[in-house]
Amino acid sequence: MTLRTKTALVLLAIFSMTAVSLSYSQDKFRLKPGAQGKVCLDCHEGFKEKLKLPFLHTPVKKGNCSDCHNPHTSAYGKLLAEDVNRICFTCHEGIVPGKARSAHKVVVEGNCVKCHDPHGAKNKGNLLLAGNALCAGCHQNLAKQVAGNKFKHSPVEKGCLNCHTPHASAKSLSLLKNDVPGLCVACHKPDTPAFGKQHMGYNVAKSNCSSCHDPHGSGSRGIIWGKPHQPVANKMCNQCHLDPSSPNALKTRKEGFELCRGCHNPMMNETQARNRVHWPVVDKRSCQNCHNPHASRENALLKEPQRSLCGGCHQDTIEHLDKSLVKHKPAQDGSCTKCHRPHSSNLVSLLDNTNPIDLCGACHDWQRHSSHPIGEKVADKRNRNLAVDCSSCHSPHGSEHKRFTHYDFKADLCVQCHEQYKR
Amino acid sequence: MGRALKHILLAAAILGIVAVSHAAEPIKFKLLAPIYVDGKGAGIRQPEGVSCGGNSLLVADTGNGRLLQYTMSGESWTPGPGIALPQLTYPIRVGVNSKGEIYALDGKSRRIVRVDPSGEFKGYVDFAGIVQGNVVPRSFRVDRNDNLYVLDVSSARILVLDPSGKLQREIPFPKEYGFFSDLTVDAGGDILLVDSVQRRVYKAEQKSSSISPLSESLMEEVHFPTAIATDARGTIFLVDQNGSGIVILGKDGSFRGRRLSMGWKDGFLRYPAQMCISENGTAFIADRGNSRIEAFLITE
Repeated sequence: MTLRTKTALVLLAIFSMTAVSLSYSQDKFRLKPGAQGKVCLDCHEGFKEKLKLPFLHTPVKKGNCSDCHNPHTSAYGKLLAEDVNRICFTCHEGIVPGKARSAHKVVVEGNCVKCHDPHGAKNKGNLLLAGNALCAGCHQNLAKQVAGNKFKHSPVEKGCLNCHTPHASAKSLSLLKNDVPGLCVACHKPDTPAFGKQHMGYNVAKSNCSSCHDPHGSGSRGIIWGKPHQPVANKMCNQCHLDPSSPNALKTRKEGFELCRGCHNPMMNETQARNRVHWPVVDKRSCQNCHNPHASRENALLKEPQRSLCGGCHQDTIEHLDKSLVKHKPAQDGSCTKCHRPHSSNLVSLLDNTNPIDLCGACHDWQRHSSHPIGEKVADKRNRNLAVDCSSCHSPHGSEHKRFTHYDFKADLCVQCHEQYKR
Repeated sequence: MGRALKHILLAAAILGIVAVSHAAEPIKFKLLAPIYVDGKGAGIRQPEGVSCGGNSLLVADTGNGRLLQYTMSGESWTPGPGIALPQLTYPIRVGVNSKGEIYALDGKSRRIVRVDPSGEFKGYVDFAGIVQGNVVPRSFRVDRNDNLYVLDVSSARILVLDPSGKLQREIPFPKEYGFFSDLTVDAGGDILLVDSVQRRVYKAEQKSSSISPLSESLMEEVHFPTAIATDARGTIFLVDQNGSGIVILGKDGSFRGRRLSMGWKDGFLRYPAQMCISENGTAFIADRGNSRIEAFLITE
């Protein structure tokens, strides 16, 4: 026997032994026939009840527990094969289209279990609750409003999914199935005489319906938003728009704030008479930067609550506020106009008074809570041109320190001026 | 390897290191003496505008409703007489042309006032009959050729007028913008704008009739930029009003750093409003919240 033959035989023997041993070990750990999907139930007995539910997640139905769980070990809770916020996307990867115009926050964050039971449920799609009750779990304020509406929008009553898509919308914002008015005119035909009459003869087929109507229903006939602009409430559209018979009927009679001045002249004059104007008041969109000209759910026809409305431009202030451990209550509550004048002011930052100390004093009796000298005659030791006022020590929106001071009250605040006491 | 080749490689390596270190060298702000008072020792109050050219500095002393002039010699300056006019009770932006004529935007009337070098009222910059639509200037700039660039927020455009007041160009704002607070003209004649809401710099190239983004959105780097300035090299400086600092961008709009911070003492800022940079590299900042003009020597 040559050396080459000997080597070949040795290698063959090693290969055969390895194969046999591997085959043996595989057989040893292989599940018994028919055990898949059942072996887990030997321990997870409570799960048997779950399997009786009418709607089951496909892997559960097939008994493929290991599609989602690693039977031996995992870096994630509940022996999941992937992070709980990512695991669903391993199969349902296209749930948010690449060019989605809006997406449900819980979907983007991978919180699928907020709506779905990953194993099974009584409701189609393994939903935790059926119909609007599921959505109402998070959108509580809206659900409360819908329940209390005197004039209801019937699709809302029948189900949110009549207008909204639950995961993401490639076609519209707010998870709408289609853009407004396309979505609305599918039911409300604009070419009918009744539609024309209800809209005072104006052709609004291509207008934004939700500029006047609350799609979720309201307390006003015609589901007009709760706080309509007086001309809208009086059906006097031609007070601002050209006559319905004119070729460009929806055009307004004047541009920008000149249109609003027609009725709100005293307020406009007052606004213009102060030193500092809020620049959006005089820009191209003017009043409509903040106000909805037709109707709103907010006071003063504001487009949104103040926090999100003001925060739309002053996002940095909201970011600062959110990061602050101690927040000034009006800022936290989104009551910006408690301290700021929204149109104009004689003070910087459009503050609402002739004297910043008096502004704070309207809520805080500073003379009682503090004996520190304050006012025009008290010079700030750090800067010869400044007098000591509330903002010398306090950051008006919030800060990381108690009483929202600029610096730590115990260690750093006082020694900013009283340097001789610095440790 | 030949000796000559070794020398060449060594020189290239040294040159490379020097070039890299130079490129990465930060821009420094060296504090100079701040300006607190006018010629009579009265304090400045909430200034919002500064303009510097040659050896002079013009300040919009907004809170006191007047303009202040200073003449620089070296690192010190001599206050000149103040200018107070009934047509200019709340100056918020200032500029000077090559003849020493002053332009000032009045925040209350929102009109640009023309003042001669002696402090006499010369009239308003009049847009009637020159352009269509309403004009509300938010800011303006005078370039080295005395052309006037007006940021018109009412009709969403930039108006460029020649020294005689004739309309040269009208550049509409781009479709997607937040709110433009200020503009400047760089040494090459390009117009730069700062969008306070989108926290982004836009650019309209010389003779172009459109505006396009220059920088990325600077959400992480700046809070609420309200003014913009450039130096002779084209470096861009953004005045971060709510962040009480200065953000530096390269000529291409890339982020290069952030300088200064919030405070009351000299060298700090509180709600700064505008900034100008003189030919010798001195930066003047209208430190509104601290009621003073801060001065820094910028070194690169």
